[in-house]
Amino acid sequence: MTFISWQYALFLPAVVLAYWLVPWRGRILLLLGASYFFYGMWDARFLALLSTTTIVDFFGVLAIAGRKEPMMKIIGIGFLPLVWLLGCRFFATSQAAVTHGIIFAAVFLPILYVTLYQLLWRLPVEKQRRAFLILSLCSNLGALGFFKYFNFFAGSLSHLLTHLGWDPGWTLPHIILPIGISFYTFQSISYAVDVYRGTAKPSHDFFTFAAFVSFFPQLVAGPIERRNDLLPQLEMPRKFEITDIHLGLRLILIGLFKKIFVADNCAMLVNYAFDPKTVLNGPWALLGVLAFAFQIYGDFSGYTDIARGSARLLGVQLNRNFLFPYFASSPSDFWRRWHVTLSFWFRDYVYIPLGGNRDGLLMTFRNLWITMLLAGLWHGARWTFVMWGAYYALLLTLYHAVPALNRLSDPEKNSPGRRIAGALLMFALTLVGWAIFRSDSIAQLEGWFAALGNWNPRVATDWIKPGCWWLLHVGPLLLLQAATWKARDEMELGRFSWPVRGLIYTLLFLLVSGSVAPDVEFIYFQF
Amino acid sequence: MKKWLAPSFVLMLALLVAGELVVRIGFKRSMTGRFDYGYDPNAGFVENSNGTVSLTRTGGRHFFPQTFSRVRPPDAYRIMVFGDSVPRGGSVATCYATQVADKLSAQGIKAEGINFCIGGNGALRTQIILRKGLQYQPSLVILHADNSDEYDDEREYKRAQNFKSWAPQYWLTKSYLIRRIYEFTTEQIYWAWLPNAIRDLNSVNDDDIKKQDGENSQQRQEWNQRFVKYTTESVQLARSYGVPVLLVSEARLRYDSNNQPYLDDLGVDNYLQPLLGPGVYFLSMKQVLKNTDYVPLFSDGTHLHPPGHAFLADEIIKKLREEKLVPLPMRIFPNPINGERHAGW
Repeated sequence: MTFISWQYALFLPAVVLAYWLVPWRGRILLLLGASYFFYGMWDARFLALLSTTTIVDFFGVLAIAGRKEPMMKIIGIGFLPLVWLLGCRFFATSQAAVTHGIIFAAVFLPILYVTLYQLLWRLPVEKQRRAFLILSLCSNLGALGFFKYFNFFAGSLSHLLTHLGWDPGWTLPHIILPIGISFYTFQSISYAVDVYRGTAKPSHDFFTFAAFVSFFPQLVAGPIERRNDLLPQLEMPRKFEITDIHLGLRLILIGLFKKIFVADNCAMLVNYAFDPKTVLNGPWALLGVLAFAFQIYGDFSGYTDIARGSARLLGVQLNRNFLFPYFASSPSDFWRRWHVTLSFWFRDYVYIPLGGNRDGLLMTFRNLWITMLLAGLWHGARWTFVMWGAYYALLLTLYHAVPALNRLSDPEKNSPGRRIAGALLMFALTLVGWAIFRSDSIAQLEGWFAALGNWNPRVATDWIKPGCWWLLHVGPLLLLQAATWKARDEMELGRFSWPVRGLIYTLLFLLVSGSVAPDVEFIYFQF
Repeated sequence: MKKWLAPSFVLMLALLVAGELVVRIGFKRSMTGRFDYGYDPNAGFVENSNGTVSLTRTGGRHFFPQTFSRVRPPDAYRIMVFGDSVPRGGSVATCYATQVADKLSAQGIKAEGINFCIGGNGALRTQIILRKGLQYQPSLVILHADNSDEYDDEREYKRAQNFKSWAPQYWLTKSYLIRRIYEFTTEQIYWAWLPNAIRDLNSVNDDDIKKQDGENSQQRQEWNQRFVKYTTESVQLARSYGVPVLLVSEARLRYDSNNQPYLDDLGVDNYLQPLLGPGVYFLSMKQVLKNTDYVPLFSDGTHLHPPGHAFLADEIIKKLREEKLVPLPMRIFPNPINGERHAGW
C-alpha cells in the first residue's frame, strides 16, 4: 500500500475517523495497529523485524536510563516476533515464505539478547550505559548492514578476489530489502543516542514507543523524526482541531501534485534518457538529468508532503524535509535544504561526534568526507551512490577551501546578481550529482558524460517536444514555489485570499487527476 | 470556532461541479466510446450533417482521419480494410487500402479505399469495427487476419470493464470532466509530444506479459481458438450483407539460426482455409512475398515500408481480377470508322 494507491485513499480516512472517535488510550493502540497493518500489506513477515528493532531499543534504552526490566517480561515480549513468524508460516501459501533459517534466527536472537542483557547489567555501573548503547547500535546497524549491504560487500569482495586471480565461487543469498529499514533504524539510533547523551528521556510505555518507531505516515521514507519532536505528540492527549484537517488535506493535495503530476511525468523522460539502449546526445543527456532533478524532488518531497499531511490529519506535526533545495547557493546550503532530517541526522550523529570543524581544516575535511561517503552509501548498496557521496564531499571541500566559492555560500554578503550566479552554479553542480546518482553503473555514467559533449548541430532535434513536455510539468511547480517563496514551503498559501486558494486547489486537483503518467513507485522506498 | 468547511475548499468543489456540468452538457458527443478501449460500437465514427462520415481518433480507436459519404455513390467501388497495425501502415497515403484504390482509379475504376485498421486490434475488436463499417455499403471487405493481437484484445477488454466498475480505483473516472482532461492530455500532448521510443518504454510491462503468455502453449492455443472464432463470425457477418470478403493472412519476417530470412505466418494460412467458400477469397502474404526480395519491404519484423504496401496492393488487385471482383482495366480502342481512339472495357 503506497500513498498514491486507492487502498491508502480508503485506509487513511478510516484511520483518521477512528482515531478521533476512540478515547485517548485507545488511539495509541489504534495507531500501532494501523501502522503494522500498513507495513504488513507490503510483506507481513517483516513485521517481525520491525518489532524486533522496537523491542531491542525499548529495553536497551530503558537500561541506558538505568532501569532494569524483569527478565520474564523481556522474554515474553522478545518472543513475540517468533510467534508472528510461526503464524505467517501457518497461514502462508508457500512454506518457503518463512524458512527454517528465519525461524532459527527468531529463536536464537531473543535468547542472545536476553543473555547479553543480563550480562551487561553485571558490568560496573559507569560502563553499563555505554554497553547498552553499543548493544542498541549493533542491533540496528547489524540489521541494516545485513539486509541492505551484505550482498553488496560480499559481491564486491568476490569481484575483487576474482580480479586477483582467486575465484571464491560464492553463491550469494537472495536477501529482500525491507522497505523503510534505513529510516526506522536511523530513527531508533537517534533515540538511543539522545537518551544516552541525556538530551531526551526514554519512553516508559512500550506501545507508545512502538507507535513512535512504526508511525505509518513516516515509516517507510521519513522524515526521520527525533524522540523530542514526535514522541511527546504521541504521549500527550490531543484535541481535535479542524485546522489540522484543513492543513493536512492541503499538504496531501500538494504532495500528490508533486508526485503524480511532476515526478511521474518527468520519469518518462528519465527512463528513456537513462535506458541502456538509448543512444544519447548532448541535448538528451541534459534533458534527462534535468527531468531527473525534478522527478526525484517531486517524488521525495511529494512523499514527505503526503506523510506530513497524513500525520497532520491525526493532529501530529512532522518536520519539513525540503526547503527549495534547487535555490541553494552552496553544497552546505543544499544539504540544509535537501532531505533536511537526514542531513541533520548525519551532522548530529556522525559529523559532530567525529569532531566536526573543531580540530582544524584537515580534520574538518576528513570528517566531511567520512560523513558524505556514509550518506552516499545510506542511499543504496551501489558504487555510484558512494561516488555521489564523494562528489558532494569534494564540493564541500572546494567551497571550504576556495575563497571565491566560499564567498558565494554566504548569501547575506552577496549582491542579488552574485546570489543568482551562486544558485545557478550550484544547480549545475547538483545536476552533475544527479547524473552520478541516477546512473546504474560507472560505465553508464561515462556514457552520460561523453554524450554531454555531443552538441553537434546535426544531432537529432527530437528532444524539443519532450523538452516542452518537461517544461509543462515543471512549470506549475516553479510557479507554486514562486508563490510560496518566503516560507520555502509549497503548502504555505495562507497569504492568498480564499478565492485564489480555491482556484489553486482546483487546478492542482485537475492536474493530478488528469495526469497520464503510469504509476511509478516512490524512489526513496528502495533506500 | 473555525469553520468546518473552508471557503476555498467550497469554491474548489463548486468549480469542479460546474466543470462537470459543462462537460456533460457541452461535450457529451465527443465522449462517446472513451475508456471503452475499442469495445464501443460507435467510437471514432462521426456522422456529419452533410451526409458524410468522419473517422476520428478517440480513446480506444486511433483511426487515421478520413471522410467518406454515408451512402456509397452508385458508380463507386468501395474497399474497406479491417485489421491491425500492419494494414494500417504509416499513413493514409501509403497504406495498401489507399494504394489499391489509387491504382484501380488509375485504371479507370472509381474506387475508394478506407482504412479502418487500428494497431493492436485483435479479431474481436476488428469485428466490432467491421459491424459498424458494413453500414456504409462496402463493395469489398478486406479482412487482414493475424493471430498475434488476442492478448491485446483481452487486456483492453479487462480495462474497459474496469473503467465501468465501481471499484474504488475507478471512482475518479466516473467524472466526465476528469475523463475529458485525461483524454486531452493523452491525445493532444502525450501522443503529440513524446516519441514512440518513450511511449514504448511505458508500455513495456504489457509487452512483457504478452511475450511471457505467448510462450505458454496452452495460452497460445486459447488465443488461436479466439482468433478463429471471431474471424469466422466476421466473415459470416460480411457475407450476411452480401459483401465479398478477401482474407489477407499476415506474415512476419524472421531469421533462422544461420541468420537467413524466412516468412512466418504463425499458422494463420491454415486457420483460414476452412473459411473459404462462395464470396470468400484468400491471399497469403507469405505466398506472394516469398517470390520476391521481401526483406527490404519490411520496416521491422512485422510492419511494411510503403513499397511493401505498394507490392501488396498490386497483389491484391491481381487477386481481385482473377476472382473477377473488379471489372477489367479500361483499354484504349481505335474507332474502326473514324480512327479516333476511345476508352472501353
